[in-house]
Amino acid sequence: MSRITQRTISDTALRGLQANLSRMQTLQNQLSSGKQISQPSDDPSATVSAMTLRSRRTSDEQYLRNIDTASGRLTVTDNALVQLSDRLRAVRDLVIQSRNGGLGTESQAALSANVKAIKDEVVDLYNTTYLDRPIFGGTIGGVTTIDASGTYLGNDQPVNARISSDAVLRIDVSGTAAGANTVPGMIDQVAANIASPTGATDADLSNIDGAVSQVLQSLGDVGARSARISTTRDMVDSHRLDLTSRISINEDVDMPQAMMNLSAQQVGYQAALQSAAKIQQVSLVDFLK
Amino acid sequence: MSTGFSSLNTALNGLSAAQRALDTTSQNIVNANTPGYSRQRVLLESVGNTPEASFHTGSAAVVGGVRVTDVSRIRDAFLEGTRAAAGAKQASIGSQLDILNGAQQLLAEPGDTGMQATVDSFYASWHDLANNPTDTAAGSVVIQRGIAVADQLHYVVDGIAAQWTTAHDNLVDVVAQTNQAAADLAKLNESIQEGTSAGQPVNELMDTRDTLVRKLATLVGGSSSMDQQGRVSGGVNGINLVSGNIHQTMVLTGGNDVSTVSADPPGLRIGAFAVPVDSGQAAGMLAAMRTDLPALTDKVNTVAASVIGIVNGVYSTGYAQDGSTGNAFFGGTDAHSIAVVPTQGAQLSIAAAAGTVDGSIAAHLGDLADDATSATALGRPGPSAQWRQMTGTLGVQAQSLTTGKSVQDAVVSAAEDAVQSNAGVNLDEEMTNMMLFQRAYQASARVITTIDETMDTLINRTGKVGL
Repeated sequence: MSRITQRTISDTALRGLQANLSRMQTLQNQLSSGKQISQPSDDPSATVSAMTLRSRRTSDEQYLRNIDTASGRLTVTDNALVQLSDRLRAVRDLVIQSRNGGLGTESQAALSANVKAIKDEVVDLYNTTYLDRPIFGGTIGGVTTIDASGTYLGNDQPVNARISSDAVLRIDVSGTAAGANTVPGMIDQVAANIASPTGATDADLSNIDGAVSQVLQSLGDVGARSARISTTRDMVDSHRLDLTSRISINEDVDMPQAMMNLSAQQVGYQAALQSAAKIQQVSLVDFLK
Repeated sequence: MSTGFSSLNTALNGLSAAQRALDTTSQNIVNANTPGYSRQRVLLESVGNTPEASFHTGSAAVVGGVRVTDVSRIRDAFLEGTRAAAGAKQASIGSQLDILNGAQQLLAEPGDTGMQATVDSFYASWHDLANNPTDTAAGSVVIQRGIAVADQLHYVVDGIAAQWTTAHDNLVDVVAQTNQAAADLAKLNESIQEGTSAGQPVNELMDTRDTLVRKLATLVGGSSSMDQQGRVSGGVNGINLVSGNIHQTMVLTGGNDVSTVSADPPGLRIGAFAVPVDSGQAAGMLAAMRTDLPALTDKVNTVAASVIGIVNGVYSTGYAQDGSTGNAFFGGTDAHSIAVVPTQGAQLSIAAAAGTVDGSIAAHLGDLADDATSATALGRPGPSAQWRQMTGTLGVQAQSLTTGKSVQDAVVSAAEDAVQSNAGVNLDEEMTNMMLFQRAYQASARVITTIDETMDTLINRTGKVGL
């Protein structure tokens, strides 16, 4: 520039100070918020990835909640099935006991009553609920899978839960598959047979064995699904952690670096202040007498 | 022939010229920091002899002394024009950027309070309800989160409309300032012409006029030209606003609401002519008002329509506890009218079949959080993807304006420096001039004293020999 005036010097100094201050403010904003991006224009593509990553993390958090509900329900189902198989074995024991020769009618009536009592327990087990929903009833309106008259009300409709972005898992057991529609009637029949003069038959035993294997099959199914849930939980959880760290890398300020930048900026600002103060102090006026 | 008295006169010329120069120097010094002031210089001319006179009278050449021909303003019209144009462009980018930054604030992205987070937690609440379909509390949460989605869309679309109205108010103000500046400019043209013909100093008036021309450039991108009578004409893109002492009135046309933009876009008009504005504050405001804010409103409305469509599309296939189906979760058609229809958590249609207790429809609604699922359901990118795209586009636009503004700031600084370098007052220079003219004054005074002494010898001492 050809000709410099006091005004150009002070303007230049002022612009330098402004630029310094504005950079300091940006750094101060970043440090106090801990974020690199305070508005989309700071980094549009990082903004869009931040939104996508946050959205996926929200989904993952929801999958984990779904998994908790699913695994709670499967645990309750598992317990009910284990107890059912116990009850059915108890019935089998009673049947075998009743077929020992030399039992009197009274004893047989007592065994029959015992079997009937177990049948009530079995019905209660089939009516187990989780969060006010019958676990063997499918999607029926009420909460009772087997009503007082012994009728099976379930509709065998699956209850599903989304446990990851690409997996939907059935989290209930079909009442029919677990024998809810046949077992109570079968036990009633066994009880009647025990009390009858002919006594329990081989057919009764094989019916009970069939029911036990039906229950065990459902149990195995539930076990397999529980295993799948726990692997999925690990997977989703690690995915969530991964997303969290990516969100942090994407959005968060690198604190040490920002602090270093701030100190450097402060030094620059002080230098600008000092030089401005020094330059503007002198003019020819000071040297004229 | 020369007389001693003519030298006195010459010296007197010198005294008054030095006096005038000192006046000018002091005017420069006191106005060193006055905005718009251009430094002034006294133009001196030596007054020579008059050859014709000597030819006729046979007298010897007369030395005439010095004359102040003009006090001129040091100013470069080209530099001033460059600065005005750069300032106009800067103002345009700045005003558009201000509006877009306001829009960015409205979106509150990326963060936990933005639309993306609100929509995500809305979808998540459907999954919670699916996990526990008989829980009326979970149903209430779904309804509340749905209301939050609707509220956020209202907030954004109303905020954009409010920004548009603010920009409109500001533009009304810009037009009023433009008209005021135009009127002042016309008046100054008249005063300057009168002053010039009367031989009055008009330099300060011309500085004020230049400031007005620059203001016109900053406001509406006005440019100026000077006619042969020294009057400045101001206009915008070739349409005259001021010519001589006559000024036109600029008016703002168009509707005063963002919803009327497509039917009745805002614009500026001088007399019968629509003014194409491409720089100055008005240009940035008009760009935001005509294009950016309406486009943003359209996109927010599209997102709202997509949310309504995609959620209702799934929701309507569900059955409520009372057996009804084909229900709507969201009412309305756009971001203004979107509202949640169900009021009770127990009324939600989330079962796949009548008379069952089932959350499978709720689960399908929750699955819409997945971009691929919602894209399949909608046949184009889902609301979240649209929202992200909108945010990204706005971010890129604001970013490029921010970059453009910092470039333009540098351009304006350079232009400002160039003008200052030419027209600014340098105190060292003025001090030097002050000394120079002070010395000149002293020297002229000395000449008078010397002549006086000479005369004294001639008048009082002549003939007095030996006294």
